[in-house]
Amino acid sequence: MTEDQTLLQDAAERYLRENYDFNKRRENITQGIYRDPEQWQAFADMGWLALPYPESLGGLEMGSRELAILAELCGRYLVTEPLIDSLAITSKVIAASDQAPDLVPAIAAGEIVPIACIDEMAGSRSVAPATRLERVESGWRLKGEKPWVSAGASATHFVVLASGADGLAWVVVASDAEGVQSDHFATHDGRGGTNCRFDIAINDAEILLTGRLAQLALEAYRELAMALSSAETLGASQAALDTTVDYTKQRVQFGQPLASFQALQHRMANMLIQIELTRSLVYAACNAADNDSADRARYARAAKVKASRVGREVTQEAIQLHGGIATTDEYIVGHFFKRITALESWVCSRGEALQEFMALDG
Amino acid sequence: MNASHPLPVNYENFREAIRDFLSEELTPQLTRAGELTTSVFSDFEAGRHWQRILHAKGWGAPEWPLEYGGTGWDIQQCYIFLEECRLANAPNPVMMGIQMLGPMLMHFGTEAQKVDFLPGIISGEDVWCQGYSEPGSGSDLASLKTTADREGEEYVVNGTKIWTSMAHYSNWIFCLVRTDKTVKPQAGISFLLMDMATPGITVTPFSSLDGEIEQCQVFFEDVRVPAANLLGEENQGWTVAKYLLEFERGGQHFTIDLKKQLRKLKDRVSSVSNAASDDPTFSFRVAETEIDVLALEQTELRIKGSLSSGENPGALSSLVKVSGTELGQRCAELLVEAAGQRAMPWQSDVLSPTYAGPTAAPAECVTTMAEYINSRATTIYGGTAEIQRGIIAKHVLGL
Repeated sequence: MTEDQTLLQDAAERYLRENYDFNKRRENITQGIYRDPEQWQAFADMGWLALPYPESLGGLEMGSRELAILAELCGRYLVTEPLIDSLAITSKVIAASDQAPDLVPAIAAGEIVPIACIDEMAGSRSVAPATRLERVESGWRLKGEKPWVSAGASATHFVVLASGADGLAWVVVASDAEGVQSDHFATHDGRGGTNCRFDIAINDAEILLTGRLAQLALEAYRELAMALSSAETLGASQAALDTTVDYTKQRVQFGQPLASFQALQHRMANMLIQIELTRSLVYAACNAADNDSADRARYARAAKVKASRVGREVTQEAIQLHGGIATTDEYIVGHFFKRITALESWVCSRGEALQEFMALDG
Repeated sequence: MNASHPLPVNYENFREAIRDFLSEELTPQLTRAGELTTSVFSDFEAGRHWQRILHAKGWGAPEWPLEYGGTGWDIQQCYIFLEECRLANAPNPVMMGIQMLGPMLMHFGTEAQKVDFLPGIISGEDVWCQGYSEPGSGSDLASLKTTADREGEEYVVNGTKIWTSMAHYSNWIFCLVRTDKTVKPQAGISFLLMDMATPGITVTPFSSLDGEIEQCQVFFEDVRVPAANLLGEENQGWTVAKYLLEFERGGQHFTIDLKKQLRKLKDRVSSVSNAASDDPTFSFRVAETEIDVLALEQTELRIKGSLSSGENPGALSSLVKVSGTELGQRCAELLVEAAGQRAMPWQSDVLSPTYAGPTAAPAECVTTMAEYINSRATTIYGGTAEIQRGIIAKHVLGL
């Protein structure tokens, strides 16, 4: 890590350790608070919400590797606020649009929280969305449905992928606008999801990107989302292992700590091995993206496949090695397991990533 | 010696220089021996011949310090050299002397020992084997029972060693022997260097599962060894051996060979005439394996980075050993699966580089089964996968 990266990591880790309490998190979730306004303001004040944007937009011009530092910590501290979600869509779609000077500073200040709406009911993920941006007399109209939007309940704005006149189009709408119907639901990973229905008039200023630019932005967003979801999975996996190691050292059965049994030691060694291998690949994916290397697409997909598989294995093992306590809601380890499961299919599934990896291989 | 062969520091130029050397010096028979290598050992004569050529060039032991005949190359250069040798199918010389004993002699040896032994190791003139395991002492190495009793200026050695790779070709052996039975096991072990021609030493080779002979049992009956051949202090052998084990585990580069295996696997996927081309799940499994190899490669690079900046990678080398060997096994398994019945023919001598007769198996499947069989040993030798996991549990996780 560079000196700047170490500083970022240390400061962010200290903040979350001291201010992101697991029990407070549970309380918030119970009350339907998935994006604590105080936390979000603190994230903004620390510059986290400005990390990846160009200086001209008031950003800190940091890369994927720095975003991955935050993503890992989001995994470790089970952050329910949509940090990587909004950073990814802002840096790859909003910042690439003509509206960036208006929107990005407000996003960095924490006033606007954008969430991407891509997936559709039919599973026709992004190639040809059934949601349409149509020309009408007075301007444009956005019509369609976007279900299962992760963290949709935390959004102030939706960034919607639609089919337009010349291919794909990205459209931004306020989540409370008339013509946007949002049905929120609680999710197993402590967030508020949303089923969105759009039938709304759109003006030119709300159309961010169209055609080839929209397509390129989608690809860039997916690739960053793969790297960051892998990094968050990595952070949650490491935390699940650390928790397991601590617990098995303390828990006494048959007159000795569980950690003294070789059968369990070797399983924890396996968890560590797989986590370290994943770490190498996640960092390689970020570095490849930041250096714009020819391998960047391959590494992002490799990281996604590896992290998904390892995250699942490690958190399942963590539950098993703990025993009954890990199956309770008040114990932390099962929450890593749930969050990792949600991340697995967020933006891009493991299977999609694997197929794309194979196609790139040539 | 190497000082007369200055090389450019630019890594791509360096790689070119290595490639030029390899294409000039590797004869078809030497590369044939490389292609037919199914374990860590190539055909013995081919490996010895290649070591002589490397030595003449000044590259007999690239990683050794300059003063002992090394090259002064940095970590990246050593890696490039190894990678190019592997990609060009250079045969493997017997490396126990260069990789294991050499560093020990430099660290623990007397001046006389260094002068006596290092030149023969680097030239390939002396072939060393490693006498560690015994029939009753495998993973629990410290329980070893071969004894060395001091009589004046000699030790008298009795006992037996097993899994002594290439002992039937070796003229020297480095051994762990018990010199004190009254203390705790680790504290009573010494490190002895023995001339294999010493009366009382007999070597019994035995066949591995693939029908090839690499392994031996060595018997010692009242073998008289000069006390000057003790490496380190008496009863300090365990310390010497632990240093040695680090060399055996660290600095291994599994991904070079794993990538060669992956290339073969992809050839199988795209070729029409094998079991894999009828199996739609096969290419997915190859892709999953490729991703695991990429992860290991990046981990090896991380370790190389920490070595370059002078840090000790510690238990990360155990992690690499476990993953590298298990991935090698998975690749070997997939290759056998792709070959199906084509991998089953067994022929004596077919793996000798001088064999020119017909082969019962298709050319690309001649080594497949032997590689698969021999891959099973990789998680057993050099500290079993279980021992490595134990090291990780203890030294990384603190269990």
